[in-house]
Amino acid sequence: MKTLWLTQVAAIVRLEIGKTFFSRRGLWVYLLACMPMVIFGGHSIVWLKRGLPCDFGHDTNVFASIFQVLDMRLTLFFGCLGIFMNLFRGEMLDRSLHFYFLSPVRREVLLVGKYLAGLLAAVTIFTTSTVVQWGLMYAHFPKSVMESYLRDGNGWRHLTAYAGVTVLGCIGYGSVFLLAGALMKNPIVPAAAVLVWESINSFAPAVLQKFSVIYYLKSLCPIEAPPDVGPVFSMLLVNADPVAPAVAVPGMLLFTMLVLVVAAMRVRKMEIHYGTD
Amino acid sequence: MAVYKRSYKGYEGPLTSRRKRFLILSRYAARGIFASRIVTGLFILSFFYPLAMIIGLYLNHNLSVLSFMKLHQDRLFDVNGAFFMVFMTVQSAGAFLLTAFFGPNLIAPDLANNALPLYFCRPLSRTEYVAGKASVILLLLSIITWVPGLLVFGVEASLSGGAWAWEHRGFAAGILLGSLLWISFLALLALALSAWVRWKLVAGALLLGVNFVTSGFAAALNATMDVTWGSYLDPAKLLTAIYGEFFGMDLSLGVNTWGALASYGVICAFCTYLLSRKVRAFEVVR
Repeated sequence: MKTLWLTQVAAIVRLEIGKTFFSRRGLWVYLLACMPMVIFGGHSIVWLKRGLPCDFGHDTNVFASIFQVLDMRLTLFFGCLGIFMNLFRGEMLDRSLHFYFLSPVRREVLLVGKYLAGLLAAVTIFTTSTVVQWGLMYAHFPKSVMESYLRDGNGWRHLTAYAGVTVLGCIGYGSVFLLAGALMKNPIVPAAAVLVWESINSFAPAVLQKFSVIYYLKSLCPIEAPPDVGPVFSMLLVNADPVAPAVAVPGMLLFTMLVLVVAAMRVRKMEIHYGTD
Repeated sequence: MAVYKRSYKGYEGPLTSRRKRFLILSRYAARGIFASRIVTGLFILSFFYPLAMIIGLYLNHNLSVLSFMKLHQDRLFDVNGAFFMVFMTVQSAGAFLLTAFFGPNLIAPDLANNALPLYFCRPLSRTEYVAGKASVILLLLSIITWVPGLLVFGVEASLSGGAWAWEHRGFAAGILLGSLLWISFLALLALALSAWVRWKLVAGALLLGVNFVTSGFAAALNATMDVTWGSYLDPAKLLTAIYGEFFGMDLSLGVNTWGALASYGVICAFCTYLLSRKVRAFEVVR
């Protein structure tokens, strides 16, 4: 039975990959992922043109702040919203979900297949974006400085951590928005609710903080963002009680599992009403 | 029995005057808005804060009531620029949220179901179509932005006297101008986004995304490039700068008021261009 399920999951992933990567409806996800690249590319070009030395430490702090504010909280958030909400709601819009529901596939298997396809797309797009951003940020520094940073300054560790946080972000937000897509018709409601919850998370009681994606992601960031980023942003960046990576990664995966189980239960009872969309 | 001479005859009844014609669209569009419980709830919710402020203003001028409530101070709060700044920011945020829910519903279904030829085969121009749809947003958002703003200003003026109103007439101008700019921007952005994505649900989420992401993008641009002009890409910051100027607040946002106005002009012109590309009586299907 397990082999059959795995074969079905693989087949669904194959079907969904094309839809998630190349659909016209998903073009803006690429735009979203490219936006920070434009900023960092522009930064390097401007400093190369000016011919002035740029402070490496300052740039590292700027990258840390922008990664936490723009990448983690906005591009990754809205990108995952676009990709994962589309998995079920997009099928409703295209009036094609019943083909899946009529085929001899368990709904849970369908959910896992769709989630994996979305995850593959999100991880590919956003991790590539993060790595390219990191490269572009330091592109204007001499090769020797970069080599020294990578060799002696934990450069590789930082890059791996940023990429890892992006992957975990895709896993966490993906599960949340997949559940939202299965639960709700209108994506604005869950988007606004999750956005508000993630923003006020720093001020929530310690127990409640654990029921959010950003809590684990912030704890895994390699550099704490500096406090000189303005009152609004420092409020978002504050992490009073960070957890160790050994707890954060399993915590995040456990959170995702829980959300996916709830989503599977919901999809099991899902009924199609094309007329209402 | 055979039927003869059933050829086409033009409509000969009374016509709505050209100037009022777009209001027909507004009338029909407005009918469906409050069918959504979320929109109705948000609309009602957006009156709570003005109501609380009006009650607060009344208490502010009634020492006897304050002493009865055992509040040992002569005022609850100061009615100054900061008061109106907070008030208008809250109402503008409410207007934005409300637009995300009902704005895209106005135009996306027409485009998704290829209904535009049905509109434009009648004596209705593209401008009138957009004006008809936008006027619904403008009307609804006016009710929760500048109308309560001016009401609060009027209440304070009636309690503090004509001299206060004359001295602070800039506040009234700020409420009106800032709100009109914001709601015009929201109306055009909501219509343009829904015309391009054609899916009302996605358009709403996109409206939410555009506003938050542009704020983050602008802040990131300022931080990486060591500049301040990135703020001109952030519509919320532009509005804050305009309100700040009229309410006499020194916010040091790095945004010039005229620059903010020009920036709004450019954004609105771009939205109009996007609309003009999509709102057409025909469609090329490839």
